[in-house]
Amino acid sequence: MRFHEVNFFLKLAGALLLTVGAWFATDWRLGVPLALATLGFLRIAQVPGIKAYLKGAALLVLLVQASWVVNLMLQGQPALQALSMATGMSARLVTTTAAFFFVMETSTPGSILAASSAARLPPVATLVLSLTFGIIPMLRDDFERIADAQRARGMEIDDVGFLVRLRFALARGVPLLVQAIRMAHSISLSLSIHGFDMREKRTTWRKVGLMVEPRLPKAQDRLP
Amino acid sequence: MLTLQDVSVGFGDTRPVIAGACLELARGQRLLVCGAAGSGKSTLMQTVAGIIPRLVPAPLFSGDIRWEGRPMTSVSREELFTSIGIVFQNVEDQLWDLGVEDLIAFPLENRRMPKHQVRQRIGILMDEFKLDELRGRRVLSLSGGERRLVAIAAALAGSPRLLVLDEPTTGLDPVARLRLVATLNRLRAEIPSLLIAEQDPSAVQAVVDAVSLLKSGRLAAPEPVGDLMGISAAWQDACILPPRQRRHKSSTRATGRTLLSVAALCTELKRPDGTPVLVDVGLDIRAGEIVGLIGRNGAGKTTLFQSILGLAPIASGMITIAGEPAREWTTARRARSIAYLPQNMRRILFNMTVLEEAVFAITAGRKDANPPITLSRARAALARYGLSEQTDTNPFALSSRQQALLGLACAEAAGSQLAILDEPLLARDLDGRRMLDLFLATAMAEDRAIMLISHDLELVDDVCSRVLLLDEGRISFDGPTEHAWDCHAYGRLGWPGPRQAEPTEPDHALS
Repeated sequence: MRFHEVNFFLKLAGALLLTVGAWFATDWRLGVPLALATLGFLRIAQVPGIKAYLKGAALLVLLVQASWVVNLMLQGQPALQALSMATGMSARLVTTTAAFFFVMETSTPGSILAASSAARLPPVATLVLSLTFGIIPMLRDDFERIADAQRARGMEIDDVGFLVRLRFALARGVPLLVQAIRMAHSISLSLSIHGFDMREKRTTWRKVGLMVEPRLPKAQDRLP
Repeated sequence: MLTLQDVSVGFGDTRPVIAGACLELARGQRLLVCGAAGSGKSTLMQTVAGIIPRLVPAPLFSGDIRWEGRPMTSVSREELFTSIGIVFQNVEDQLWDLGVEDLIAFPLENRRMPKHQVRQRIGILMDEFKLDELRGRRVLSLSGGERRLVAIAAALAGSPRLLVLDEPTTGLDPVARLRLVATLNRLRAEIPSLLIAEQDPSAVQAVVDAVSLLKSGRLAAPEPVGDLMGISAAWQDACILPPRQRRHKSSTRATGRTLLSVAALCTELKRPDGTPVLVDVGLDIRAGEIVGLIGRNGAGKTTLFQSILGLAPIASGMITIAGEPAREWTTARRARSIAYLPQNMRRILFNMTVLEEAVFAITAGRKDANPPITLSRARAALARYGLSEQTDTNPFALSSRQQALLGLACAEAAGSQLAILDEPLLARDLDGRRMLDLFLATAMAEDRAIMLISHDLELVDDVCSRVLLLDEGRISFDGPTEHAWDCHAYGRLGWPGPRQAEPTEPDHALS
């Protein structure tokens, strides 16, 4: 299935529905299977970056489980009940983040711009959607690029313990911030010199329906 | 069409970057501005295009700029950026994560052009620039040269009345350069006026009518390009290497100690047709030699050094560093033997000051056994490359030229046995070349080795004792530099040799 070509708003609507479902499924016995099914879908769909997402999701689950169980027990809840409530919350968060991770990873800023322009959304909404869903993968790529730069200059960040690796990862925050500012400047410059106007609705070169055309046909296949 | 009268621009330093520049650009005129790195070319180009001071404020800005007879300040932003297109030297500064077609279409979509017309225009430009293979690709996944061509196509999309190109041939291989020149000539009717900034005039000689030399922010009067090409003194006075003149021939020789050996390397990274980017690469780099690596844009040069450093996974093959198999080595361990200097140094800078960068080059982030000695080494390396005054500056605040010098200082301070220089920006102006020569001479004196990746064939011819040609995923030529330009593999590229006049109609070489 060409998930990258599915209209962004369809994917967004699907993610929202799934999230609403997850938050209504208060019982962990419903929430956990839903979370697992969502993760299974990501796996089957071969969404890029899933390994990194799973690591983050595992960390999130650990933090939620630990903090909720301790907190609820301090409030006098029995351990088993505290565990079931914490598990339910973890499951909701996993389902929610997985659903939006899918939307983010399978939607390029270009396809979001096209879907928004075809829907005749105001330019400000077009821009906000494109940047919100587009900038996170860009920042993640920059985070990886900085790590590669550290490696390429001899800094050992792979063959070290988890805590040292975590410390090095946190140390990338400052250069990442510098890079984020530069990126914002580039985007702003690009919008200005290419005439992006907040007052005028845009057109799009892509054919947009339930699917969004990913590329212009080859020269010989283009209609006159 | 465009008039600059006594324009000065400065960013807070003691002297302005542009000092009292005067320029008249008539409709139909095509002007080349040549100057050394740091002479103020980019500032001038951005001023002419209205970026400075409208989008990028300058603390010092004076003088009068008129666009089509009106003060530029009175021209609306939409009208200004519709009528003037610009491509920056650092093309990444104007790109974001759009697709190739998205970027070309962006200005047209913003102007509410109907879909069929936008598609037609994209098609014309992609055909013109031979970008068909890049359809559907994300711009940030392209090679530097490919990005630049897409950015130029995007700047042309809206049919500007003035096109401003800042170092447009940077990162382009000779055929892509010829294609760009041919396209600019073919579109003569569509682009009424053209302003180009370059260090090397020979690359764009065929598309311009006149040249203005820029030295320390001062712009000389334009002269016919043909008149100026052969006058060495004029170029030297502007601190630029005279075009098509040999500087000196390298007399390096390998001492026999192999520092890097690559055998039967095949990458996991594949091309769109499913073939690996590198299929069967083998090479040796020995101490005491400077080896040039050349190849088309997208040939896999970047993938090759990434594979050597362990940043790109390999499917098979053997990498040996200083006699030891490096397959299981981490990237950091490999990097302690191999220093890498990309063209855009921003990619590998991440410390907060220049001095910290140099210290990091020596310590690689490990605990420093002797901080005073390390600091002293770092300061000495920075001083050698003229960066003593910038030790506390943030590396991102340096100019591209200063960042390139910082790269040399860091590589020297690190003392790596092999340095990979990817398209150094310093090769075309006298001061920059002096620094590059200093770096190369120091490396040779210390029996190290250099791999120089470059499309600047004159530089390769000048400084390299051996040339490797990467084509179709393999090293198709490995031999002495003097034999490289006549070999069969080089002939297949269809490139002119170093210092040869470029053909005016290159299409036979493009297929």
